[in-house]
This record gives sequence, C-alpha cells and structure tokens, in this order.
Amino acid sequence: MNMSASMVTSYHVSVPQFNPNKGGQRWKEKRSGSVRCCNTRAGELRARKEKNYYELLGVSVDANVQEIKQSYRNLQKKHHPDIAGHQGHEYTLKLNEAYRVLMREDLRKDYDASFGRTRVHLGRNASGLGYSSWKGPLRPEALFVDENACIGCRECVQHASNTFVMDEAVGCARVKVQYGDSDQNIEVSVDSCPVNCIHWVDREELAVLEFLIQPQPVKGYGQSTVEEETPAQAEARANASMEINMGRFSGIWKLFEQVFRSNMWNSE
Amino acid sequence: MFNVSNAGMDEPAYTVVSDSETTGEEKSTSAFPEIAIGIDIGTSQCSIAIWNGSQVELLKNTRNQKMMRSYVTFKDEVPSGGVSNQLSHEHEILSGASIFNMKRLIGRVDTDPVVHASKSLPFLVQTLDIGARPFIAALVNNVWRSTTPEEVLAIFLVELRAMAEMQLKRPIRNVVLTIPVSFSRFQLTRIERACAMAGLHVLRLMPEPTAVALLYAQQQQLTVHENMGSGSEKIALIFNMGAGYCDVALSATAGGVSQIKALAGSAIGGEDLLQNMMRHLLPDFESRSSNHGMNEIKSMGFLRVATQDAIHKLSTQTAVQIDVNLGNGSKVSKLVNREEFEEVNQKIFEKCKNLIIQCLHDAKVEIDDITDVILVGGCSYIPKLRKLVMGICKKEELYNVINPLEAAVCGAALEGAVASGISDPFGNLDLLTIQVTPLGIGIRADGNNFVPIIPRNTTMPARKDLVFTTVRDNQIEALITVYEGEGEKVEENHLLGYFKITGIPPAPKGVPEINVCMDIDASNVLRVLAGVILPGCPHPAIPVMEIRLPTVDDGHGWCAEALRKTYGSTLDLESVQKKI
Repeated sequence: MNMSASMVTSYHVSVPQFNPNKGGQRWKEKRSGSVRCCNTRAGELRARKEKNYYELLGVSVDANVQEIKQSYRNLQKKHHPDIAGHQGHEYTLKLNEAYRVLMREDLRKDYDASFGRTRVHLGRNASGLGYSSWKGPLRPEALFVDENACIGCRECVQHASNTFVMDEAVGCARVKVQYGDSDQNIEVSVDSCPVNCIHWVDREELAVLEFLIQPQPVKGYGQSTVEEETPAQAEARANASMEINMGRFSGIWKLFEQVFRSNMWNSE
Repeated sequence: MFNVSNAGMDEPAYTVVSDSETTGEEKSTSAFPEIAIGIDIGTSQCSIAIWNGSQVELLKNTRNQKMMRSYVTFKDEVPSGGVSNQLSHEHEILSGASIFNMKRLIGRVDTDPVVHASKSLPFLVQTLDIGARPFIAALVNNVWRSTTPEEVLAIFLVELRAMAEMQLKRPIRNVVLTIPVSFSRFQLTRIERACAMAGLHVLRLMPEPTAVALLYAQQQQLTVHENMGSGSEKIALIFNMGAGYCDVALSATAGGVSQIKALAGSAIGGEDLLQNMMRHLLPDFESRSSNHGMNEIKSMGFLRVATQDAIHKLSTQTAVQIDVNLGNGSKVSKLVNREEFEEVNQKIFEKCKNLIIQCLHDAKVEIDDITDVILVGGCSYIPKLRKLVMGICKKEELYNVINPLEAAVCGAALEGAVASGISDPFGNLDLLTIQVTPLGIGIRADGNNFVPIIPRNTTMPARKDLVFTTVRDNQIEALITVYEGEGEKVEENHLLGYFKITGIPPAPKGVPEINVCMDIDASNVLRVLAGVILPGCPHPAIPVMEIRLPTVDDGHGWCAEALRKTYGSTLDLESVQKKI
C-alpha cells in the first residue's frame, strides 16, 4: 500500500522514543516495588526524578483551574504534534496526563497526597493559595519563612505545628496560620531555627513577600528572554509581574489595600 | 510530484510523475511546505477547500459549483463522477448506473443494518449476512457490474484532485478529510485506501464536528483580536447532521485552541428521513425497491426525487402536495404536512436528542455554560431539529456566522494548513485542535467481555496500559483480540485485529502479568504493545510485541467467528487491575 509509505518513514523516526525496552524498564521498576499493585504513578514519577505535574504544566502548586487550563493550552500550542511534529508526542502524552489529574479535584488531591503535600485552603480566598491566614485579630507583625534559606529541618513545625507547615514538594517550611500557636511556642520555634530563616516582618510587607517566595508559573516556556539582569531590572520585573498578578490574589489584597497600596507605590 | 532533489539529474528539474509511487522523504526535501487541502466527502455532497495564504477558499468546478454531488456513474467506458459530470436531471443518478451514498457503505460488512437499509437504493447492494463484504454493482448496459465503495470513492477523489490541481496549478498530495464521528478505525483504513488509490496522502482524518470547532475557534480568535477582548473560554455545542451521519461535539475554545471535550455520533441522517418518508408514502416500498427490475428502479427513482423535494419544501412550508406517477397505473398522490413528517421520523429525532445528551454528559458540561450552539450539515434546515437542539441547550438562537454546508470543509482546510506547518503573519493560523477518541478501544478478556484500555473521549495523543493475566495453569499462549466500540460484549464492537502472545513461561494461572499498552498518536495511528512479566524477574519474559492496528482486512465479521470456533476460551485472559 503506497499511501502508508510516508507514514512508515515517520514511524521509524519515532522508534527511539517508543521502543519496547522502555516499556520493559518501566515494568522492571514496577516489579521492584515490594508490594504488588500498590505502586502509584506519582511514586513512579518521583522515583525517576521526573518533573512533577505542576512543573510539567509550569504552574504553582496552588494554581487554580483557570491557570492550569491556560498553561495547558499554551504548552499544547507549542508541543502538540500538529505543531511540533512527531517529537511532540511523548511530551504531549505527559501533558495530557498531568492535565487530566490536576483538573479533577479528587485525582489532584490523591496526587498531592502522594507527595505529602497539602494545599492550604483559605476558605473563600482559595484562589490566593500559598498565603498564610490569620488566627485571631490582625497584628502589626507577622511571621515569614525565607524559603530560600530554609534547610527543611522541621524544627519549627515540631514546636508550632499549627503555625508552620512543611511544603514537601519544595522541602521547605512555610507559615500556614499566623499566630496559630501560643506566643511562647512560636517564640521557641523561631529560636529553634538553625539558620535563622524565620523572620518577624511588618504585616504590610507580608503579602508581597509571600507572593515573591512562591513557585512562579514559568513564563515564556523555555524561551529564555532574560539572560542576565541587574538587581534593579529584577526588581522592576518583579514589580511589573506583581502588578499583572494583582487580580489573582485580590482576596488577600483587599486586606491590605488601604494601608498598603499608598505605602508601596509611593516608596517606589 | 515536485522533487527539488532531482535538480542535479538529467531529467528536468521538476517532474510530475505518476502519483501512485510516493515516499515520505519527498515532503521534507521540498523547500516549501505543501499546504494540505481540506476535503469534505459528504454522503450526498462534497466540497474542497484550501488555505490560500490569507484565508480559506472553496474551490469550484468548471460549472462554478462549490458543492458537488457525491456519485459515480458507470455508464460508458470511463466512469464519471459528480465533479465533472453534468447532470441533465436528478433521475440520471437513480437509473442504477450510478453509485452514491458510498460513505454509508464503506468499510461495512453485510450484517450491518446500514448496509441493509441501502438495499433499497437503485444500484445493487447484495448481502449474504455472514459478516463479509456486501456485493455492490452498477447497472451498465443491462449488466450488473461489480465495484466497491473504495473504488467508487477513489474515482470520485481522482476527479476532485484533477480539478484542484488544474486550479492551483500544482500537484496535490496531502489532504485532510472529514469523517463521521461514528466511523470505526477499520472504516478509516478504507477511506485511507480509497485516498491512496487516488494518489492522495491522508494527513489527518478529522471528525466533522471537530473541523467545525476549529473554524469556530478561528472566528473567536478574530473577534478577540478586533475587540481586544479578554478571550475567555467559550463552550460550543456542535451538531452536525448530513445525509448519512449525525455527529455531536462539545468544544472548549480559548486563544485559538479548540479543545474537544466529547464526541458522539451515529449513522443516522437525511437518507433515513427520506426512506422513512418513502415507506410512509408507499407501503410496499420495501418489496418494490429491493426487486431491482428496470421498471421498479425507474418508478422508485421518481418517488425518491419527489419525496426529497417535498422534505426540502417542508423546511419552509408547513404542508406540501406530492404527486408521483409510478407507471403501470399506480401513483402516489398525497398532501403531507410537517407534523406528519416529524411523526414518521420520530425515532430518528429521538436518537439525535440522545446523542446530544450523551455528549453533554460525557463532556461534564452544564447546559448553562454553553456559549454557542452551532448547527451544521444538510439537515440543519429542518425546523424540528433546530427546535430540538435549541430546546436541549436552552438557547433562543443558534450561532449564525457559519455556513452550515461549508463549515466542515473550511475547518478541514484550516487543519490542513496548521498540520502542514504553515504560519500566518496575522495569527489567523495560530490554531490547534486537541482531539479525543470517539470510541473506546480495548481487548477481549474476562470471558466474552470487552475491556476498554483507552476509554471513549480520551484526549489524544493517548497512552494507557492495563495488566491482564492467564486463566489456566501453565498457559503458554494468549490471544489478544482488539476491539473498538462501546458495547459490553465483544460482539457489539468492531474487531480491529488480533495477535497471539506465545512463549509465556509455564506458571500457575493468575501469575504471569501480561501488560497491554495502547498508544494513539496525534495522527490517530493506533499501536498496541504487549509484554509478559513474571514475578521476581526484572525483564520481560519474552520480547515485547508491537502491532500497528487495524490489521483486519475484508470479512472481519468472519474472523471473530473463526477465532471463537478454533480457540474457544483456551487462550483467554483476565483483567488484573483497572486504572482510573
């Protein structure tokens, strides 16, 4: 059949990505699990040090459905085999799987659980995830963990488990609830930090800090637009992206709006 | 074909060689990507379109027609189709010498109800009801001369291709064809075969409503550009009903990406409406039309034309008078009103309704979330259908900036341009369709059950696997039979192929793990991998098998029966675990 000639050719090109050995490898890994049938896909992925679904889709672990959809479509437009040719096949398969899981609340929960990660829901402000909530009245000072410095020792979580939480995905502690424990416990946990990465910050600064420390959606997907930037440029970019993103955490934003907006933009 | 790499040879730099021989490399050596053309082969009408560099353009034949009747007449030495042939009267294609409705016949076995319904057509459709190919023949000089739907379609495509090549002044090779949602993969191979016979390479076979969805996505993209709007997600329900098939799709569109959420389809269409009506008008229609004597063919031709005409009129009128002289003193004379027509075809409309409901259910979309309802295809003018679709979707009006007869071919042309790697400086081709599988694919296991591995409406490309095991101690062979469809029992589904796994190491039943993996790429090629693992053994026990499906050829209804007789349940499998 002549018509299939060109298909056959392209098919041979695809063989390296789709050879039986790979299948065998996967089976091998499956077998190495001590208990049969209990291997989750997620565990498998992690064992292979592959990108997790969030990284794959380039979204933050707390991304909402809209963000995931948007990102999925952008990535599809770049990698779908209709556009990228046959080499887009494997990548698109993974994208589809990641999208399928993250778009379904129940599957996403299971997936998150397999990482020991819990998304912190802030009630109505669920879209502004990743931000700490407050127990009791607002106070002038707030706790903030510099996740870049955190070594993931869990000391703070042990001393004040209602305030701090481990983000297993990134291996860092973060503040879940401001003043979630007694003042004394919090004091102990702050002091217990071996690298002193828990800081008391002004309440007004908290939203910005928490926003900046979050895993950010990858913009531009692989197109490296900025190679080297000066600190000033970085700051400008952060501010710009923050302005764009303001809508996203309007819930939190409202809390600080009156005091904060004037302060921040004046100081620029 | 143009072949730039020939330039250094003695022959002229550009040669047009016979289209029958082709290789894949030619495409890549060409300096400019060839834009694939879009073809909509309708059961009744056909059209062809191409991206002309700035927009989609429908090609016209020498008689300035954009829509051409799909038929081939075998009257003279050279058969002629609806592209070139000038019909003096509609009756000409009802003389028995012309084959039409080939889209309803292609890839179907003689036990198929759709084939049986075609027996009342003026040409000969003979069935032996054994699961083999039906016998199809055209009446040429008082002789029934056999042909096949593939051949008829190929002759028609050759004409289409010649017409397009003449107008575009270049050879045509790559095409995007629209197909009904309900087509099985086996039917798709028949379409591909017909295209190959006509020297065409199928770049994509696109379910008709998804082509419409792509056109819709482009239109939405344009409106966003004009209004600088937000480009928020739009949910569209697309209902397409032509002469042969009815399809429904639900798509979510944003930023030029048309994401198909669900598909549903069935082989019901205008042809069924017409036949029901003819039966209604002439109670002994069945016996008279299956007779295939010269006089019967002629009189049934008259009835067909008159009924067709009446149905068309009932779209705008509430009643119509039908007067047909059937010869030999018998005649039909009746005033038919719209309610009567709707009553006669109540079951068809009911099926349409169920398809829409099923599609909405599969897509998990609430009716209130639907932005636009798009009705396309020849039957979209029928008031009852319009009312029905709008009723289900709770919409006061339909999306009206789309030509119901040209939407599918325009979408196919867009896909042709996108899949050919053409880009447009104005972003008009910044498009993508994310397709889903219209039917589930799985294997026979757990007795006579169909166990789906890739369920219906899975996003493509897709890859899923499932583990099976042996049903007997020391079972060393297993038969994998691959089916496509939705039925619980294998008989209710389409057989795609089968292969045997041999050399399974002897072990108690339930111990060997037989992993069956299915992979569908974006051009809808299905591959099945099967491997055997024994506990404690890190490597596959035997080399993994990789099969490209479908492998069945003609008479596939027979194959399943033969397999059952020969092997019974000796090579059976059982499913081990089901993944979500």
